[in-house]
Amino acid sequence: MSSTTVQSLPVSTSAAEEPAITVRNITKMFKRHRSHEGILALRDVSLDIGKNKFISLVGPSGCGKTTLLRMLNGLIRPDEGEILVHGQPPVPGTHMGFVFQSFRLLPWRTIHENVAYPLQLHGMGKDEIHERVMRYLEMVGLRKFAESYPSELSGGMKQRVALARALVSEPDILLMDEPFAALDAQTREFMQFELMKIWHQRKAVVVFVTHSVDEAVLLSDEIVLLRPRPGQVSEVLKVDLPHPRWDYDARARPEFVELRRHLWERIKEMVAADPQSEFFNRDGKSDHAAAQD
Amino acid sequence: MSSPGEAHPLPQRRPHWGPRLSHVNINVWRLLAFLVFLVVWWAVAKMVGQNFVPTPLETWQAAIQTYSNGTVPRAAMDSILVCLAGYVVAAIVAIPVGLLMGGFRVLGSTLEIYVDALAATPRVSFIPLIIVFLGLGYEAKIVVVFLGAVMPILINTYAGVLNSDGELIEMARSAGAKESQIFRTIMLPGALPYIIAGLRVGASLALINTVVAELYTAVKGLGGLLSIYGNTFRMAPYFVVVFTLAIIGVCLMQSLKVLERRMGRWRYNSSERN
Repeated sequence: MSSTTVQSLPVSTSAAEEPAITVRNITKMFKRHRSHEGILALRDVSLDIGKNKFISLVGPSGCGKTTLLRMLNGLIRPDEGEILVHGQPPVPGTHMGFVFQSFRLLPWRTIHENVAYPLQLHGMGKDEIHERVMRYLEMVGLRKFAESYPSELSGGMKQRVALARALVSEPDILLMDEPFAALDAQTREFMQFELMKIWHQRKAVVVFVTHSVDEAVLLSDEIVLLRPRPGQVSEVLKVDLPHPRWDYDARARPEFVELRRHLWERIKEMVAADPQSEFFNRDGKSDHAAAQD
Repeated sequence: MSSPGEAHPLPQRRPHWGPRLSHVNINVWRLLAFLVFLVVWWAVAKMVGQNFVPTPLETWQAAIQTYSNGTVPRAAMDSILVCLAGYVVAAIVAIPVGLLMGGFRVLGSTLEIYVDALAATPRVSFIPLIIVFLGLGYEAKIVVVFLGAVMPILINTYAGVLNSDGELIEMARSAGAKESQIFRTIMLPGALPYIIAGLRVGASLALINTVVAELYTAVKGLGGLLSIYGNTFRMAPYFVVVFTLAIIGVCLMQSLKVLERRMGRWRYNSSERN
C-alpha cells in the first residue's frame, strides 16, 4: 500500500484468469465551448478489472470518475488508448447495466414498465419480460409496487427500481455512478447492504463511482483512487475485509479504519494541491499562501 | 393546470383558505355565482335600456324561439363543422412538423424563424388573400381556422421535443436504444404534455377564427348570425348566439382536459415530479 503513483497495475486478476475489463492508456479531452483549448479529463489511465469483482472509483471532483464510467459503457470513446470489455470495445447494451445518481425513471411509465424498458428495446417476448421484471422487482423488494408510478415512490425505492432495471437484462457488468448520493444517510446505508446482498446473490463486475470513502471501503474488493486535473490513477488498493460484510460491523475493523484514513489523507492532499478546487490551500499547512490571494 | 373547483380526486396542490371545496358544494357555489351573474345582468339591462342589453328573460325567450325554429342549431352545426375541420387539419399538420423539427435539429433551426414570423403575423391579414384564392365558401373558412390553430400546436410540439430530458436519453442510450427508439420511447412521451397544451391553445384559437372567418367571408354559421342580429339591433337573439359560442368553447376545453388527464395520468399522481 505505497503512496507512490501506481499505474498500469494489473488489478485483481487472479492468476490465469482473463480480466473482464481492460483499460489501456486511455486519454480523453473535452472541448470547451467556443474555445480551441480543451480540458484534459483523463490522461494515460490503465486498469484491469477481474470477473465478478466489486471495484470502486474514488477521488476528488474533476478526477474523471464519471467520464471513465461512461467510457466503460461505450457512451463516449477515448481519444487515445483502448478499452476492452470481454475482449471487445464496449457498446452500450444489455450486457451492461447502468445505475445513475439521478434515478432516471420514465415518469409516464409504471414501475413494471420502467423495469421492462431495456428488455422491450431488444424485442423480448411479453411473457418472458413479465416473468423477469417480477423476479427482479422481488429481488429489490418492490413487487407490490409494480403498478405504481415513480412519483409515488420515495428516493430509496426509486433507486431500487433503477437497480432492478439495470439488473433485469442480467448483465455481467454493473456500472454505478454515485447511485446513493441523492439519498439520505439512513436510506443510503440500507441501500448499501441491499446492494451487497444482491451482488452476492447475482455476481457481476461492479464498477462503482462514489465520493464516499466509507462507502467504497465497505463495498469494494478493490478501490481505484484517482487524482484530478487531469484524471489519473493514483493508486489501487485492495480491501481485505472478509465477505459477506453485513454479518459483522465492518466499519469497526482496524483494516477498515486504516484504509479509510489513508484514502481520506490522500484525497485531502489532492484537493489542497488543486488550484481549481474551492478548498485549494485550505489544508492548514499553508495558511499564509491562502491569505495572500 | 387544474382550477380549484374541479371535481376530480386530485391532491390539493396549493394551500388554501376558507372552507374546503368538495365535490358537492362546488356545484352549489357555481349555481350561486350564476344567480349573481343573472341579477347583475338584469340590473344592467334595466339601467342601460333594453335596446342595447336584453334582460335574462327576453334572452331566454329568444333562445327558445331560435332553438325551436332551428336557426341557432343549424348555424352552430355549421360553425362546429368548420371549426373542427380546420382544427383537425391543423393538428394533423402541426404535430408531425413539430416532431420533425424537434427530431432533426437542422430542420428545426432552419424553420424556427419562419414559424415565429408566421405566428406573429395577425392571421386576419391573410383573409383577403384567402378570399382571392378560395372564395367565400367552406374551403376559405377552414383555411382561416387552420391558420389560427396550427401555430400554437406546432410551436408547443417543437418545444416539447426540444425540452426532452437529456438524462433520460442517456439512460436509454446506455441500455442500447437506437435513435429511433429514443425518439419513440423518450422524446415523444416527454413532449406529450406540451402537445396537449398546444392543442388546448389551438382549440380556443380555432373557435375564435371560426367566428372571424364567418364574419369576413360568406356570412354563415354563428358568426354570420352575430353579424345579422348585431346589424339589425336584435339583441336578444344576439345574446343567444354569444352564449352558444361560450358553451361550445367550454365543451371543447373540457373534452381536451379529459384527454390531457388521461394521457398525463402520471403527472397527477403527486405534485412531485420524477
